[in-house]
Amino acid sequence: MSETATATGWYVFGIVEAGARVDGVELVRNGDLAAIVSQVDLAEFGHEALRERLNDRAWLEDTALRHADVLQRVAAEHAVVPLRFGTIYDERSDVTGLLETRGDDFRAALEHVRDRVELGVKVWIDRARFEHSLADAPEHEESAGRAYMLRKQNEQRAAAEAAERLAQLAQGLHAQLSALAVDAVANRPQPRELTGRDETMLLNAAYLVPRGDTRLEAGVAGLQAAYAELGVSFEITGPWPPHNFVDTRDGRP
Amino acid sequence: MSSALQHRGGPAPAQLADVLERVLDKGIVIAGDIQINLLDIELLTVKLRLLVASADKAREMGIDWWEGDAFLSRRSGDRALEDRLRRLEQKAGLKPSDEDGR
Repeated sequence: MSETATATGWYVFGIVEAGARVDGVELVRNGDLAAIVSQVDLAEFGHEALRERLNDRAWLEDTALRHADVLQRVAAEHAVVPLRFGTIYDERSDVTGLLETRGDDFRAALEHVRDRVELGVKVWIDRARFEHSLADAPEHEESAGRAYMLRKQNEQRAAAEAAERLAQLAQGLHAQLSALAVDAVANRPQPRELTGRDETMLLNAAYLVPRGDTRLEAGVAGLQAAYAELGVSFEITGPWPPHNFVDTRDGRP
Repeated sequence: MSSALQHRGGPAPAQLADVLERVLDKGIVIAGDIQINLLDIELLTVKLRLLVASADKAREMGIDWWEGDAFLSRRSGDRALEDRLRRLEQKAGLKPSDEDGR
């Protein structure tokens, strides 16, 4: 496919209703829907150029943050269906075509997220403390050697038991928080290399809640109080645009 | 509650990870008659390069931290990853290890 330095493409951030007003970006309307777009230089966003840029960490971070930033601003005032980063069309007519062919999906997704926000909840665990709370205290009467052996056995058993308990704990916490939300997703916990924290991320979840509804936050506060002594702590992020709650891939092309 | 995005001045690394996790991995995926789109397999590669300093570190982490079962249930996590990789291979006509996509 040929591309010239002056050609422009259409980068699509997300979908809103046609009546939405959004500053700083364009709307391409079709019927009752509109795509939030920005014209981009294909010298930067063309297929070949993009291949290279994607390996440029600073560029990717900036561009991904802009994508997030636009959606964040729109979501503060309108129901919005976020698209994944990097959806770029050749022609404006391709964008109207998208609104036409996927209109039903977009309407259903808008309905699902209307007047709702995504909150992130991360649950952290101090594993040493948690395992310690499961381990039996060593018996004082034993000889030093035997006490050592018993302690080792205890520690190993506690570690294995802790792994199972942690999985159960994560599922239990997620179930309790899900009951306070309209929709819920548990994503894979981020690894320590990424979080840079000593604690292990036990749960990395997102919840869709009615805008202004504080039940989930209250629920988190309650769980925090109940589980603190086991070495469990909670973190809430957001409100986010509903990135986690618009996936229509299941059973669709 | 912290703001989800502090654009200028740059978010803290942990927050950046939250943003990227959403923007690169979530949201509706459009497939079809798009002239320019990112293949999923490219994004997988991107995530790794983005989030870790070196390729070695990425291999240590495994490429699947964003995929699979959230509750560390290894069996189902692996199956999900395998399915995904198979799908990506078909879609891209590539072997997963072929990073440059040639």
